[in-house]
Amino acid sequence: MTSERISSPRPTAWRQYGREMSVGVFLLLLLAYFGTTPGFLQASNLRDILINAAPLTIAACGMSMVIIAGMIDISAGSVLAVCAVVAGLTAKSGAPLALIVLLPMLAGAAIGAVNGWLVAYLRIPAIIVTLGMMSVLRGGIIWYTRGEWIGNLPPSFSAVGRGEVGGIPVPVLLAMGVVLLTALLLARTPLGRHIYAVGGNPVAAGRMGISVRRVLWLVFVLHGALLGLSALVYASRFSVIQSNAGAGFELLAISAVVVGGVNIFGGQGTVWGSAVGALLLQVISTGLIFRRVSEYWAPSVQGALVLLAVVADALRTRRLGR
Amino acid sequence: MRVRLPRREAVLLILLAVEMAAMQSLSPLFLTADNLIEVVRQSAEIGLIALAMTLVIITAGIDLSVGSVVGLSIMVMGMLWEDAGLPIAVSALLALLAGTLCGVFNGALITAVGIPPLIVTLATMAGFRGIALGMSQARSIRNFPEGFLWLGQGYVLGIPVQVWVLAVCALLFHIALTRTAWGRSVFSIGANEPAARLSGIAVNRLKRQVYALSGFMSALSAVVYAAHVSVAKPDAGLGFELTAITAVVLGGTAVSGGEGGVLGTLIALLMVGFLRSGLTLARVPSEAQDMMVGLLLILVVAIDRWSRKEKG
Amino acid sequence: MRTVVLIAAGVLLLLAACGRKQTSTTGTTTAPGGTKLVVAVMPKLKGIDYFNAVERGAREAAQELGNIDLTYDGPTEGKVDLQIPFIESWTLQKVNVIAVACNDPDAISPALKRARDKGVHVITYDADANAEKSGREFFVNQATFEDIGRALVDEMASQAGEDAKVAIVSSSPTAPNQNAWIAVMKRYMAEKYPKMQIVTVQYPEEDQGRAFSMTQDILKTYPDVKGVFGLSSVAFPGAADAVRQAGKSGKVAVVGLSTPKSMKEFVKDGTVKTVILWNPVDLGYLTVYVAKAVAEGTLKPGVTEFEAGRLGKVKVEGDQVLLGPPMKFTRENIDQYDF
Repeated sequence: MTSERISSPRPTAWRQYGREMSVGVFLLLLLAYFGTTPGFLQASNLRDILINAAPLTIAACGMSMVIIAGMIDISAGSVLAVCAVVAGLTAKSGAPLALIVLLPMLAGAAIGAVNGWLVAYLRIPAIIVTLGMMSVLRGGIIWYTRGEWIGNLPPSFSAVGRGEVGGIPVPVLLAMGVVLLTALLLARTPLGRHIYAVGGNPVAAGRMGISVRRVLWLVFVLHGALLGLSALVYASRFSVIQSNAGAGFELLAISAVVVGGVNIFGGQGTVWGSAVGALLLQVISTGLIFRRVSEYWAPSVQGALVLLAVVADALRTRRLGR
Repeated sequence: MRVRLPRREAVLLILLAVEMAAMQSLSPLFLTADNLIEVVRQSAEIGLIALAMTLVIITAGIDLSVGSVVGLSIMVMGMLWEDAGLPIAVSALLALLAGTLCGVFNGALITAVGIPPLIVTLATMAGFRGIALGMSQARSIRNFPEGFLWLGQGYVLGIPVQVWVLAVCALLFHIALTRTAWGRSVFSIGANEPAARLSGIAVNRLKRQVYALSGFMSALSAVVYAAHVSVAKPDAGLGFELTAITAVVLGGTAVSGGEGGVLGTLIALLMVGFLRSGLTLARVPSEAQDMMVGLLLILVVAIDRWSRKEKG
Repeated sequence: MRTVVLIAAGVLLLLAACGRKQTSTTGTTTAPGGTKLVVAVMPKLKGIDYFNAVERGAREAAQELGNIDLTYDGPTEGKVDLQIPFIESWTLQKVNVIAVACNDPDAISPALKRARDKGVHVITYDADANAEKSGREFFVNQATFEDIGRALVDEMASQAGEDAKVAIVSSSPTAPNQNAWIAVMKRYMAEKYPKMQIVTVQYPEEDQGRAFSMTQDILKTYPDVKGVFGLSSVAFPGAADAVRQAGKSGKVAVVGLSTPKSMKEFVKDGTVKTVILWNPVDLGYLTVYVAKAVAEGTLKPGVTEFEAGRLGKVKVEGDQVLLGPPMKFTRENIDQYDF
């Protein structure tokens, strides 16, 4: 399947960014629909949507790299919980801001390094490694914190989650920065090209002289560091930190990435699409409350909308393919 | 490849025996008929799902919606019985039908539209759960008739009824997978789909059958589960998908498809069940158990990989 | 092949060794059947403040009583099918008393019945089992759904007015306690405050972030909302945070159930005036006292009063031991509690 796509003729602009554009169009349609309810398109609401989507957007960027490299990460939610606790404890100990930002990212990178080592060097499938890691981390975090929430956080901590620079909320700035940097990394650096190559066809990539193991390991480390940042943005919006946060977060991140048009088999896609996908999920969840959709039916509407986006895209690529 | 299969199961059996010895050393109550039978009973619902999941994964697919199909079909059964006044047996049969239809829906999207299984079932996981919640308005249904509860709480020849159900299903799955042309086709799809297509296998039809089967087994699990816990709730089966997948991959079925079997899945199911039971008897706290199950999964698969590399 | 087996054996022995170490650190390896009474207490789930407080009370009572060997364990997720294996394994170990906070009244009953049939005493606390089907002897009742529901609505009426429009942020849509409270609240509102109106009920599951963003959305969708109920220890702080960050502290009342520890900050800055909860430490404490009395036969049907250590005389109504009315934590008293 993947090999067919790679051998297809050089894509035109529409073909190259078609997936991202169709998700964008879908997002605009949804905004127009939800926009008919009073208050939805208010600046303050759009701002809240952007802030609330920021942690997911950051995580989706890392997850995009993982999926483009042909891997997957089921442990993202529990990594988020671990990093949020690390962030909270660092802040509470009175450490300077730089450390509060750095330590959760280091913790995430360390977990990513273990995952990556097991995947790349022991060649255990990523889904198994991260499924196991998920139980280990979830059990570990309860064991360590005993489930106690972290309160009494210093004001410097909330500067990350609730601060503003030039009128733009810090979480949104960070999310935009991450999207931009990861997009540049993927499109403009040798490492980025190697990630696509490894995801498209690892055997061929190896023959081209790419160190497949090192690329995979690096992808997991980067993804872990981004999860750390995501956890920081997530946790610093609140006055107390839930020690067992992020249940189901991994599925949300994977949804954002695939809705954004990244090929689940690897080798194709961009973080732009994933960022739009993350935004789309947040818009749906806020929009359903504004439209006063019955709370019980909300999950199925959500599932149906995600499916709709994917089916529409699948049908579109099919027509293009013929 | 087929020659190697029994070997992996032998490794798993040895691991299981070592594990049981270790657990026995932790608590002398571990190796008692009462305990072992209870553990198998508690694993039966996940086991039924894991059997079908084995097939799904052998075709290089995955089904994340199984837990939600359990929630949906359990509510179909409960509501048909309580609201529509149908006999419980008829309601249960219709629930099986509902579950199968969920599977057919998954299969259709995967084969007709060509969306990868992970994405389809990720979306229907939310979708089916929402339907279960929406149509039942989140209520729970109780007081099923005694005769029905026998299915989940009764015994035949000293063995719980659902263990018999699981054993019969496992046997059927094993025979279908190893002794029939259909089973060989399932393997060949996972091993090399384009080649399977070229050799004249109706790949899409077979995939639809496998996902329908997954839906059916989830519904069967739902019926057994309702009889076991004597209540139907729309959140039934939450998280079943990951436990089932854990059993399948721990049992040596390759996530890349083309290899595996239901015997390995069953042994793995017992490994997880026995580990938890032994640790509970030894009063090891449950969060440490979660960690050990995770480690067990990674370690066993690592050992499996390594042993194959050793053989070359 | 041989190396594989050797490695496998090593790994599992290591696992077993971990198990050993864990056991010795919990210090509860005394074999059942001695002079010590073995009491097994199970929470709905481990790893939340509330049940940590329950555990603390239970351990306090066990130490006070001296001859209790206490096991405290349960699943890390609040699911009834994960609770059943613990009951089965404790029954097998022939502990003297099992005390459970049930995630579902019916589902857990067959397992409890089997324990009863094998001569294990069974009591419930926090959330009851089906009394008839499970054969449980006593239920340690911290506060009835009725008491809690009414206290919440009364509190809201006094803070937001008797004609306020209010929203509820609950837990998962199938959470039994939350649904029972909501049912009582609706009925009681219709009786006593007919002008009060519930505009929406949202279900953020056990996710702080969703509780936060859902409350934000509620405040914007229903601008005339005067009060928000936070019905779980995750929903309450999430909702309070959203109200505070929207700059509506003092304008939108936030009332709910949670441990005082997690709500301290919001109570101190005035976003939340009152936190309603019974004392979970006392609940765990009382549960162990009841367990001992049931096992020794001093607490049996017909008893109307019961002496429980530092709690003094506790009322017994039928097969329920009552902890007393719910407590209210306010700015004045919240510092006295560390759970």
